[in-house]
Amino acid sequence: MKKLLLTLEPIIWLMFGQGILLGTILLTPWLIMVGIAAPLGMVDLSYERAHALASASFIGIPIGPLVVAAIIALPLWKGAHHIRSLLLDFGGEARDGAVGGLLYLIASIGTIGAILAVVRL
Amino acid sequence: MAGPANPEAMAPPKPGPTRTAPPQQPSTWWSAPRIRNYLLFDATGIVYLLAGLVALRLVWALGKGPEAWQAALASLSNPLYLGFHVLALVSVVFVAVRFFSLFPKAQPKAIGPLKPPPAQVILIGLYAAWIGVTAILCAIIGGVF
Repeated sequence: MKKLLLTLEPIIWLMFGQGILLGTILLTPWLIMVGIAAPLGMVDLSYERAHALASASFIGIPIGPLVVAAIIALPLWKGAHHIRSLLLDFGGEARDGAVGGLLYLIASIGTIGAILAVVRL
Repeated sequence: MAGPANPEAMAPPKPGPTRTAPPQQPSTWWSAPRIRNYLLFDATGIVYLLAGLVALRLVWALGKGPEAWQAALASLSNPLYLGFHVLALVSVVFVAVRFFSLFPKAQPKAIGPLKPPPAQVILIGLYAAWIGVTAILCAIIGGVF
């Protein structure tokens, strides 16, 4: 498993890097508006409005689905890689292959889930 | 007149392995400020992973229809969810500030003939992108546009 993770390292680092940069940039407004303001009734997020925003396109580019998929998938990769790093710091070298594999599997399944979620909107 | 000091004056008569204490990690290694910040930065990964899964659950509900969406949105008003999202927002701000400060230092000295812009320019660009995207998306979701 460790060898596989090393082989996949360029992809893992690409997703992790985008997760920490783009994920952070996109997650901020999502948390403010959808995670805090909407549940407190400060923003109207009716089904029709939310659906229109999430499936919006601009000059033929599905900008809504792309942004929503990025908000879901990128933080998963940032999270998976940093949890692996944290566990390594606390002496998890022996299980790194299995733990890293499991964490990236969760991120991969979540990424497929994100794509499916926006495709079925 | 005294001659120069002999540096080997106190050496053992026969050369042998120097007795030293084995290296030991201090038990409080994690509490040093620099290490603590580094570990906190890593620990935000737990929050990011959970935030991504919550977002997936919400968008999946949006695809299922109005009832599922309203139920998922209503569940976010639970104090546990609200508390988690406040914690996630604090984590995101912490990650942004720390990562942006590291970003200029991580640039290569040159990419072919091109050199990276000065650190201040990179920092201004990162903060402008972060604040700008946040403001625009908040305005769109808030119904300003």
